[in-house]
Amino acid sequence: MRRDSSVKPPRSRTMRPGLVVFVLALAALAQAQQSFGVPSNQPPNEDFYVYKQIPDVAIETGASTAMRLSKIWSEKPLLLTMVFTRCAGVCSAFLRSLRAAVSDAQGLGQDYRIVVLSFDPRDTTDDMEMVAESLGVKLDPNWIFAISSAAGIRQVAAASGFWFQWDPSAQQYDHPSLVEAIDRGRVVRMLAGTNVPRASLREVIQELRGRFVPSYALAGKVAFRCFEYDPNRDAYRLDWGLLFMLLPATSAVLAVVWAFFLHRESPPKPYDSSSALIR
Amino acid sequence: MASNAVVLFDESEMIRFRRMTVIWGITALVLLPILALLGYFMRLFQSGAFPQIRPEWFYAVLTLHSLGMVGTWFVGAMAGVSFLLLKYTRPSLAVSKFSFWGTLLGVVLLIVCTLGGLFGTGWYFLYPLPLMSQGVWQPWATLTFFIALAILGVCWTVWTLDILRSIAQRYSLRAALGLNYVFGEPGPEVPPLVLITTVSLIVGVAGFVAAVIVIALFAARALGVNVDPLLMKNLTFFFGHILVNITMYLGVAMVYELLPTYAGRPWKTNRVVAIAWDAVLFLILFAYFHHLYMDFAQPQWVQRFGQICSYGLAVPAGVVSIFGTLALVYAARMRWTLASTLLFLGIMGWGIGGIAAVIDSTVEVNSHFHNTLWVPAHFHTYYLMGVVLMILGFIDHAGKEISGLEENPRRSKLTVILLLIGGYGFLSMFFWAGAHSVPRRYAIYPLEVAQGTEYARIAVLFITVLLLGVLLYLWETGRRCLKALSA
Repeated sequence: MRRDSSVKPPRSRTMRPGLVVFVLALAALAQAQQSFGVPSNQPPNEDFYVYKQIPDVAIETGASTAMRLSKIWSEKPLLLTMVFTRCAGVCSAFLRSLRAAVSDAQGLGQDYRIVVLSFDPRDTTDDMEMVAESLGVKLDPNWIFAISSAAGIRQVAAASGFWFQWDPSAQQYDHPSLVEAIDRGRVVRMLAGTNVPRASLREVIQELRGRFVPSYALAGKVAFRCFEYDPNRDAYRLDWGLLFMLLPATSAVLAVVWAFFLHRESPPKPYDSSSALIR
Repeated sequence: MASNAVVLFDESEMIRFRRMTVIWGITALVLLPILALLGYFMRLFQSGAFPQIRPEWFYAVLTLHSLGMVGTWFVGAMAGVSFLLLKYTRPSLAVSKFSFWGTLLGVVLLIVCTLGGLFGTGWYFLYPLPLMSQGVWQPWATLTFFIALAILGVCWTVWTLDILRSIAQRYSLRAALGLNYVFGEPGPEVPPLVLITTVSLIVGVAGFVAAVIVIALFAARALGVNVDPLLMKNLTFFFGHILVNITMYLGVAMVYELLPTYAGRPWKTNRVVAIAWDAVLFLILFAYFHHLYMDFAQPQWVQRFGQICSYGLAVPAGVVSIFGTLALVYAARMRWTLASTLLFLGIMGWGIGGIAAVIDSTVEVNSHFHNTLWVPAHFHTYYLMGVVLMILGFIDHAGKEISGLEENPRRSKLTVILLLIGGYGFLSMFFWAGAHSVPRRYAIYPLEVAQGTEYARIAVLFITVLLLGVLLYLWETGRRCLKALSA
């Protein structure tokens, strides 16, 4: 039986545009899951995120079916970092660097725990366990490797300035490396960079222990600095921002000049004292 | 004794100026119990009386109470000084009215953003806290707060400049600063009122400009420019310290002017008085560093300099004024009325609070006391039992002078007794708690410092006595002011 090729079945005609829309929607959804935030060469600015509440999203680990992040931070402060298991770039090196710095800082389990959260919705708990195993911390209950829903990942990323961008040509995510110190659900400190400096992590852990850690924003991060600290000389020098401190006194001098020299008229003549009330 | 008083107003002008002063006085008397009740609420909160109310309310009320009190007594002191200066100079009535309406508008906006919007940063609105509310208050509340500050700042700056202008119409800068006394040269007689007001208002301009810079830098931050928090803190406390200090100095200036009329003796400017108050002009610019002792990023030499200036600021002006007050009153045929008693007690309270302040301005001590209730203890002492009493004394004096209504001596005595017992009892709980490590700015005390709750409960009892004294004062003085309004 021959089929008239010029006449297409009515069903196919109606299905094709719907299929296209469906495929496009799927592609868009996949893209939405695979990218979040605005890529930047600069690490997230800690000043904008510190003390922000981390969303209490549901996570899943190999050991338990599901729990919320708050279950962990209600027991102990935590260090949170986001990776993906198929990473051919920085993730493994970063996690090794974190492990080394944590070992140096000590107190894991006693003062804090670590949550490694995948930001790739394709990752499974098994994938995350393999990462834990390769890192040599699978048996350590204070290292928690977890996954979350795409929405949950985006919420956590938004609260900490984390972003990830899918690169189809490399089939990899572009993303920063970040570890956040979280106390009772709020961001206390953030460390960004491909390595976790041991000294910096020691400071962060001290903060999680509730101890005071002096810090002053680095040069270039803020405008109008009062002083500059020279670590080589262990000395301060004055900086341009201090000029603002001269403005008030200068204004007062100008006001004096205005009142006593520029605006001054001849002294007013007294009224006839017989009509006055002043005694 | 104002021997060099001149007549600069005709009768109708004078009546209008007096009426304006009475309006300022009544405004202060209306705000006093309201703001005092807010303080009462806070101590009740700390004593655990309102477990069902969110702590956010405590901080909103703290903000309104502190800003309201500082603002109320600043304008009270300015109105008082303006009135007393009428003997020597001619301040603008229009500017006083402008400041009044601006102040009212600013106060309304402050009430809206704190009680309506839960804006709760404390008076110091320390950068970048107003912009990082964590959802406790909305951006509109922050905006309203800064608009209120800007309005108040503009009005008070204009008022300050006008009084300086009026002084300059009669006195040269050299005379107004008493430099002829300092150098022992002949010159015009300058009343201490003029000298102290000139010194205070010159630094007042600097303080208000610092506030303007702070607001501008907050706006810059809102536009995305990261500003050095250390610079912001320096500017904020420069402004705050100066505002509070000049309020006290203006109160002291009124005492210099008024107390001699009750003692029957003159209290004139001399070399020591002139040197002491001129020193304030320089030292006050740096004394505020004692608010930043905890800021490790501030170099240590700055902190040490701040300590030296704090000592220097307190000793000359304080000692000269307190010694002068005692010398004036000693063996004098003093007329102890409600006004003169409050003026005298105000100076003494300023001295007592000043001693606590000097202790706290010592770096080594401050490192232990800084975040404890010792700090509110000392500033409440020189404020509540210092400048507030001085201004209440002035309002009573002016109300009596204008209305002609005599006071009831028994009621006056009872008022003073209640104010003293209630005031110092309330303050002693602050000092005691501070010395026992109870932290400040806590709405609810955790277990580690649970003793703070007990001290707050005792303080509440004393505040009740204090409020009774305030109500009695309001009854006694308020009716005179109302009569004065129609006089």
